Amino acid sequence: MVELFRNILNIISVAAIPVMFFLFLGWGFVRKVKVYEVFVEGAKDGFHVAVKIIPFLVAMLLAIGIFRASGAMDVLIAILSPVSNLIGMPAETVPLALLRPLSGSGSLGLMTELMKVHGPDSFIGVLASTMYGSSETTFYVLAVYFGAVGVKNARHALPAGIIADIFGMLGALFICRVFFGI
Amino acid sequence: MLNQVWISLIVIGLLVAVGKDINDEARNTYRNGVPMTATLHVEEMPTAFRETWQGELIIPRETFDQFYGVQSAPSEFHQPITLTTNSSGKTSLILAVNDSTPAFWKEMATNSGDNKKLLGSVVSLHFSEDKSTAQISFVLAKLSYVKLRAVTRAALDYADSAVTISLGLIGVMALWLGVMKVAEEAGLLKVLTKLLTPITSRLFPDVPPDHPAIGAMIMNIAANMLGLNNAATPLGLKAMEELNKLNPKIGTATNAMCTFLVINTAGLTLVPATAIAIRAAEGSSDPGIIIGTSIFGAGCATIAGLVSVKLLERLPRYKKDLLPEPSSSGANNG
Repeated sequence: MVELFRNILNIISVAAIPVMFFLFLGWGFVRKVKVYEVFVEGAKDGFHVAVKIIPFLVAMLLAIGIFRASGAMDVLIAILSPVSNLIGMPAETVPLALLRPLSGSGSLGLMTELMKVHGPDSFIGVLASTMYGSSETTFYVLAVYFGAVGVKNARHALPAGIIADIFGMLGALFICRVFFGI
Repeated sequence: MLNQVWISLIVIGLLVAVGKDINDEARNTYRNGVPMTATLHVEEMPTAFRETWQGELIIPRETFDQFYGVQSAPSEFHQPITLTTNSSGKTSLILAVNDSTPAFWKEMATNSGDNKKLLGSVVSLHFSEDKSTAQISFVLAKLSYVKLRAVTRAALDYADSAVTISLGLIGVMALWLGVMKVAEEAGLLKVLTKLLTPITSRLFPDVPPDHPAIGAMIMNIAANMLGLNNAATPLGLKAMEELNKLNPKIGTATNAMCTFLVINTAGLTLVPATAIAIRAAEGSSDPGIIIGTSIFGAGCATIAGLVSVKLLERLPRYKKDLLPEPSSSGANNG
């Protein structure tokens, strides 16, 4: 049953983009849209959007880069270790939980390292990959999505995003302890 | 909030860097100027004509650990070394970093800005009778203000990678914007939008149910669900642009924008493709085992995010951001 579900998901994720192209462009052609002209018309904004993001992403990555390179993460982990011990989160996975919202490539590296050291099927390996899959890189998404439309005042998006991250990490820990716990 | 978090990341980072560097200076963590003694094993005896020769440093781990005050595995290691004598008789050395190099030296090499080698100079060199080994005493190049240097390097590198990432988006961005434009003209997005109106009208009450923004958001969420990251970002940006058309105060996020962003940052997906791929690469017996747990985790994140975004938008401090600027009218009394 799980296997079937997984296979279906696999097929969908492989076929989704070709099917979308076929359906959207084909439907457009049937509905007598000048497909080529309209496509080019839409696509010409691609450059502007990408360029618009640059200042936002530079600002965001600058702060994250300084924070990571300084070793401030180690200090934060030390401060949080009593809390993580209390909720039964293995100390090795605390850095991953903290880095996940900040840096996509950084947390990918940490997850890979944890799996290399502890094995992908160990509790820490399963927890690390679940944590990675349980959230997105909040700060990056915020910079890119709001940057594209020039939003500087993010209002409550950041606190809500961080609350979501915290619950994502706690949810990952909870479900892994229930199913794979020691 | 964003301003505070941003400045905290930078200020905390800088303060910690300064603190660590002062600590390193006080404790001389990298043993600047302190000679280390080791056994040198040379294949060929240096002669007056030979200016560069190679050999191996043999250092027991305990000696190394004691010297630097660190912890590493208790066995001896062999470190390749290249020695060069210049015309004035001084001998300098290069330690090439390889797999047998202790972690602490690797870290020092990284901190010195050159990942592949450590530089130093020889203090004294005494050959044994059979000329195959020598007692060497050497100091490594001075290493100081490591963290401040690292912070500077990171700032410049990350600024650079921000541009690389943004420009890397141009292609997929153009592709999906083109496809979406065709879908829009063909009226396909309207069909999709109608189907999901019961959900979207609750999540985004400020957005008219047949607005193109709804169609773009549905497409983005669908792409995220299927783990199609290349498609999800361009579709999400398209949705943001559509939402921005409804924005009375450009530059400030509307409630709908915040809600949509939180859905994206929670990252609910049916196929956590990256994590599965890495698990498979690391030799997991069941790489896909995390699909269920990830859906649960990201589901928690999504629900918590939606609840908090809806609660937070009622707070006066976030509500007042939506009011027009006081300079434009006198409507800012309440």
